[in-house]
Amino acid sequence: MYSVFRGELFKVVRRPGIWVLISVLLALAILIGYAITWLIYTFPPPGSSQGLPPGTTLADFKVALYPQNFVRQTLSQWGVLGGVFALIVGVLMQGSEYGWGTIKTLYTQRSGRLTMLFGKIAALAVVVAVMVVALFAVDAASSSVVAWVDGKTITFPDLDVIVKALVAAFLIFGFWAIFGLTLSTLFRQSAMAIGLGLAYALVVEVLIFGLLGGLGGDIVKKIQQWFPIANTNYLAQSFGSIRVRGIQGQTTPYADASHAVVMLFLYVLAFTAITAYLSRTRDITA
Amino acid sequence: MTTAVLDATIRRPLLPGVGGEKVVETRSLTKRYGTGIVAVDSLDLSVYRGEVYGFLGPNGAGKTTTLRMLLGLIRPTLGTATVAGAAPGSPASLARVGAIVETPAFYPYMTGYDNLRLLAIYCGVKPSRVDATLAEVELTPRAHHKFSTYSLGMKQRLGIAAALLKEPELLILDEPTNGLDPQGMADVRNLIIELGKGDRTVLISSHLLGEVELMCTRVGVIRKGRIVAEGTVDQLRGAATLAVRGTPEETARAILVAEAGADNVTAMGDATFSVKVDLQRTAEINKHLVQAGVSVTELRADERSLEDIFMELTGTEGGL
Repeated sequence: MYSVFRGELFKVVRRPGIWVLISVLLALAILIGYAITWLIYTFPPPGSSQGLPPGTTLADFKVALYPQNFVRQTLSQWGVLGGVFALIVGVLMQGSEYGWGTIKTLYTQRSGRLTMLFGKIAALAVVVAVMVVALFAVDAASSSVVAWVDGKTITFPDLDVIVKALVAAFLIFGFWAIFGLTLSTLFRQSAMAIGLGLAYALVVEVLIFGLLGGLGGDIVKKIQQWFPIANTNYLAQSFGSIRVRGIQGQTTPYADASHAVVMLFLYVLAFTAITAYLSRTRDITA
Repeated sequence: MTTAVLDATIRRPLLPGVGGEKVVETRSLTKRYGTGIVAVDSLDLSVYRGEVYGFLGPNGAGKTTTLRMLLGLIRPTLGTATVAGAAPGSPASLARVGAIVETPAFYPYMTGYDNLRLLAIYCGVKPSRVDATLAEVELTPRAHHKFSTYSLGMKQRLGIAAALLKEPELLILDEPTNGLDPQGMADVRNLIIELGKGDRTVLISSHLLGEVELMCTRVGVIRKGRIVAEGTVDQLRGAATLAVRGTPEETARAILVAEAGADNVTAMGDATFSVKVDLQRTAEINKHLVQAGVSVTELRADERSLEDIFMELTGTEGGL
């Protein structure tokens, strides 16, 4: 499998699309996560304090942009949105093989189909790890710049918190990436997989539980706790919320981090099993 | 010769001069799709070491489906196959087989060199083989250009280079001259002739009968998923006949019957006869006809082309 893993990395390193995607993610992390937010908090538009807790202004929220909160900020902002980028990476790495017809080239080399798949998943894990580390590095750097500009002290969370957050983000992004890989295997193409993946990430689960939430009661939350976006949020929220003037930013998540980790891990296993089954049993006719 | 006769006389597993180790063997290989279409129907095929075996058939006859089954890309519904001593698509089989299936598929954003380098990594082949195979298909000058900029001929040559990378004992080439210009076709044809020399086995499907005639030591004709004839090109053609036109007609007939036997002389009308006879006796027969006072106005070997045979067998017109 090592030769397949090496081969997959050989392809990824040379593929401009993957690097463009990661670069866009990092650019958005700086722009949306810090630059634009800092501008709004620093130069608030008139009337922007309406609806805020008494005695607070938008400038008070700048604390979220400082290094001590960069882990929470990164996970809460990019758990799902960043996951979408990971989903696209997963789709590209598998869907393009069908689009270019290279799947038949791969399957007529030396290794069996499952070896090819697991080598690809291992390479995908490396790409996801690079995305996660780069995202955290960019956010850490951006938060430091914001703190420096505002004349605040630069204090990062403890190393163990950062490491835990990296692992959590890797699991979240890994789930989305394998979801993309499975969709592209299922549809044997990239376009449909990206379309449906985005629809699920940005609309389906949120919309369904948003509507059901209107019914009230605990039953909706009990059902929701088995779904991936809910667990992505539980895991992100397990790193705590940002306090503004002593006020907690969000309520306690419905399920804890352990539940979220187990659920996301099970999803990864399930999607891997589905992809393995499809890869092993399907005819390659294109 | 009718299809039935060809079937009976030529389709046999061991032809004279054919034998040895079977590199490809299928038994009752069948592929049936859910829609009820039978793409390959109980196919029995044997390809022996060192052969260049041509696989002929009209579009939709089941050639590509068969080759895909031999590579493990498609699973048979029924039957068995052994390719290079192992199950199709197994690592043991793939390690000894190089293949092109329809259009060669590579990564468009990588150069030809990098595409081969990638396959070398997958196959555990030394990087030095990449340069060697690129040179073998005369692609070295364009090796560091992106695959997306290659012409169809160059893509095909890169596909052959990829198939050769593992130094396989069996090459499976599915219509390798498809879409090439005449020069490209000639280049690929010559390359395949070279590759087929020695111990290497080549299984090639082609829609160009003339090329198959030049390249292949044995040919199998497939129609509606079944082999309808198999043999060397000469065996498929059958014996050549002698066409004779001479007057007076009755004298000519009498001489020809005396020379070849009544069963071997067929009147074609207009004082023309088709004579099944050893063509080396042409001059002798001509001499006897002239000595008997026959004015011979036509005397020629009448050899059926592979295309004629193919059309008889498959019921198609104008090639594949």
